[in-house]
Amino acid sequence: MSYLNSTRLHFAGRFQANVSTVNNDPAHFDNAAFKSSYQDMEGPHMRPPNGWFNPQGDAAWRFLGCTVTSAWTPAGPVGSGDPVLGYIVADSDRQAPAKLVDLDSEQQLVSEIWGLQVRIATADGTTLLLADFEPAAFIDIWDRSTASSGGDTIAGAMYQSVLRNLQWSDVSASAFLTALQQAAIDGVLSIKFNVDSFNLDFTSPDFMTGRIVGTIGPATLDEPQHLVFGRQFMATSSAQPGNFFSPAGGINFCVGVVDPVASCIYLDLGNALATGAGGAINSQGDLTLSVYDPLLSPPNPAGGMMPIGTIPATGGGGYASDPTWYAGTAGIVVLPISATLLPMVQNSALVLSGATAGVFIAEPSGGAFVRADRYVYRLSPGDTVEIPVYAMQWGQPLVGAEIVFPLDPSQLQPGSGFPYVAPSPPVAEPTEALSFNAGAITDHNGIALLTLTLSDPGIPRAFPPTNPPTSIANRSIDGQVYGIRPGFADSATFGGPVNQWNFISLLLWSGFATATPPTWDDLQPIFQQYANLYPVMNRFLNLGDYDSVVANAHLLQLAFALNPADPNAMPVTRDLSPAKRNAILTWLQNPLPGLAVTPPVVAPAVTAAPQAATAAAAADAMAPSAAAPRGGKAAAAARRLVLQSK
Amino acid sequence: MIRLERSMITDLTGPAVTPQAVCAALQSAIELEHATIPVYLYALYSLDAGKNAEIAAIIESVVVEEMLHMTLAANVLNALGGAPSIDQPDFVPDYPGPLPGGVESDLTVNLAPFSMTQLQTFLQIEQPEDPLDIKALAAASGPITIGQFYTAISQAIAMLGDGAFVNPPRHQVGPDLMPESVVVVNVATAQQAINTIIEQGEGTLTSPEEVVGGGYAHYYRFMQIQKGALLVPAPGATPPWAYHGSPLPFDPSGVYALPTNPALAPYPAGSAQAFANDNFNYTYTNLLFALHALFNGDVSEDRFNRAIGLMMSLKGQAKAMAAGIPNPAIITGPSFQYQPVNPATT
Repeated sequence: MSYLNSTRLHFAGRFQANVSTVNNDPAHFDNAAFKSSYQDMEGPHMRPPNGWFNPQGDAAWRFLGCTVTSAWTPAGPVGSGDPVLGYIVADSDRQAPAKLVDLDSEQQLVSEIWGLQVRIATADGTTLLLADFEPAAFIDIWDRSTASSGGDTIAGAMYQSVLRNLQWSDVSASAFLTALQQAAIDGVLSIKFNVDSFNLDFTSPDFMTGRIVGTIGPATLDEPQHLVFGRQFMATSSAQPGNFFSPAGGINFCVGVVDPVASCIYLDLGNALATGAGGAINSQGDLTLSVYDPLLSPPNPAGGMMPIGTIPATGGGGYASDPTWYAGTAGIVVLPISATLLPMVQNSALVLSGATAGVFIAEPSGGAFVRADRYVYRLSPGDTVEIPVYAMQWGQPLVGAEIVFPLDPSQLQPGSGFPYVAPSPPVAEPTEALSFNAGAITDHNGIALLTLTLSDPGIPRAFPPTNPPTSIANRSIDGQVYGIRPGFADSATFGGPVNQWNFISLLLWSGFATATPPTWDDLQPIFQQYANLYPVMNRFLNLGDYDSVVANAHLLQLAFALNPADPNAMPVTRDLSPAKRNAILTWLQNPLPGLAVTPPVVAPAVTAAPQAATAAAAADAMAPSAAAPRGGKAAAAARRLVLQSK
Repeated sequence: MIRLERSMITDLTGPAVTPQAVCAALQSAIELEHATIPVYLYALYSLDAGKNAEIAAIIESVVVEEMLHMTLAANVLNALGGAPSIDQPDFVPDYPGPLPGGVESDLTVNLAPFSMTQLQTFLQIEQPEDPLDIKALAAASGPITIGQFYTAISQAIAMLGDGAFVNPPRHQVGPDLMPESVVVVNVATAQQAINTIIEQGEGTLTSPEEVVGGGYAHYYRFMQIQKGALLVPAPGATPPWAYHGSPLPFDPSGVYALPTNPALAPYPAGSAQAFANDNFNYTYTNLLFALHALFNGDVSEDRFNRAIGLMMSLKGQAKAMAAGIPNPAIITGPSFQYQPVNPATT
């Protein structure tokens, strides 16, 4: 079971993702080369880039004004008599806001939400369900909007995760919530949401917010948490790859689940349909879901498509004509399957095509798909981790298939040239720090295990020495990022389009040792880097200054000791290794000064962006279209290795 | 000196005092202590700490102790079997307005950026009883002081006796979580808690120094700002203290231009100010919910840390709002209003 279920609710509203952007440039990790201007708002068209578009971001991730737009049971849509249609979906009402966190400055395309609690509540905020959102990263980011503005504002992406520790209040007033509670037999729910229409204009009230539309349904513990065991529709890249991904057939990667008992399919188009001005769904004509009939096709491929049903573009309820369609359905369509077609549907490729020429997406001919459930990992030397990788075919576990685990750094993002102030360090080396099996055979659940054993990568991301030389600890990004892309060994049988975003991202931290006991000399470079990269800290203390840190030792002890799943955990970026964390906690108990003379640190007051920013905004409005990709994700995507090698 | 309505203690005198009456007074005490916090925080957030660091530190130190006083009052209330109520809309006072229980004609409290004028409000809230006024104020009618209010509670608790206290200790936030807190189990510890509140606010009759905590009482801390110099011991003088320490200058250019009483002129719906203010008020309301849970039985380090985390979040948000982040053209003062959903519904 997953959110693609006969029992589910949809919600819609806005979200905030107030990420900080000083760390968007990997070269900003070089303490010795850091300038205070790197904490200022960027100029027009990033000239100068300074601290990019939101240097003062606090990483807060919030639900804003999200309401339940519809709810469904096996009997159909829930009627207005059920109060669930007046309920809201909200975040925690008794802890700090959740945080949105990049894995690394050189892998910014798997941002995770940490510390999120999800509530279903009455309109006045009375909690009916409180649950913990399992941290999850976005995936399937693409150039969703065909409206003219570029960069991150045109992007769409999705999150899928589970809700744990369900705390239900009395939900008897709502037959739907009662049914959902009963359906959550393992005490977990499945949640998926699509995000798009992000606003990057710091003069707008909507700055750092976007649209969110999602679904909550039941889940079980024996399923993947971030992946639907279903029918995977695979897009191919258009000749113009765009900022992120531009599907040749106009429809992005999507998934469906066939219910053979009810003889229907749940098809999730929530992150698959392109949008235009104002976020409206573009019409691509009526969409027809068909099943490919191999018996019909050899002599006549065009005749091999057996239509299952149609998703109208026009009329009442049309996906493009009805402005409430997307919010009300989260893009999920349920189509009945005739008894005649059902057997064929269960082992033959599904195809979605549009009345508009060229609109097309399909399952691969072999119907097979493989992906890691969780695909973002932070690891230390000495760790061993088993990563389950799920193989499926026609939506069922694919048993006995050989899965291979090649390294693939192609989507990682070292950068150079404008707007980066210096070339980024290399990624994905040394590979010797990773020891893992080259492949594995899937078990009866379709699971192959990637077993990784990690060793110390050293300090592979140091910046070039300067004169006078400074310590490497002061001039590096911790650890290294790697990518591993699971795939089928038998690509002839299980071939088809590859989703570029379908790979495992690893951050492997460097080993770290200090003097015994540790002194400020050991830790100052770490604190200084955070002070540089996260100007929001200046509202609380000067992390680069011994006296300021000591004066706040009690609060720092609290924050650095918190579980990373806590929204208040320091560092907010979750990029501090356990070794360094432990050293900091040890030192905070006995904060010995060091011997080194550290240069006085420029501690900017909690000032606004410089006055220049206002003029910059005015100039921005009059200037020709931007030369630099606007937004952190677009910039990161533009420097992926896969593009550099072309 | 702020004066409270005598009705605050009417039920606390005489041999027939009931635990219910003492509990009601303690709930009022929690509301009173809380009501000062937004006022002080608003001034604190308005200060550019780069230019008025010492003044900011003084205000912050007082706020921390007001939070302790809330906790101490809640501990006493819980020890008597009561239940602090912090999560209701009417727990949050309106600004401008009187402090809870305050004589309305006496003092209208504003949410205002720091100024020497606003400092007068702080001094008025914290001013101890003037010895010359004791006789008049001790009369059986007319307003009372905060010190008299707490003294009446303390005396009523003595009348109730140890038998009124719940055994074993109930819902106590102890010094393990909050330094200088007191676990209240009987009359003696209840009076210790109440004396801490009185002395940290007003000092003793003979000294401006706190018995618990070690600093000066709030009134004298604020007077340092008024006098422009730190209070230091002055052996031989009468009394043996003087505002002759290091200069404590106020730099008016180091105050962000926050509006006074933002609730009076609500930020337009859909504006950047409303957006920031709503996020703040939702966080503030969440803090009240977290404290309500903490004071009503969920006395855990985890709950306490989440409350601290909410306070840090409020601080970070407010400082950005005051400093014009992200848009220097937009300055927002947090209105400290009860808001259980985000954004606020209109």
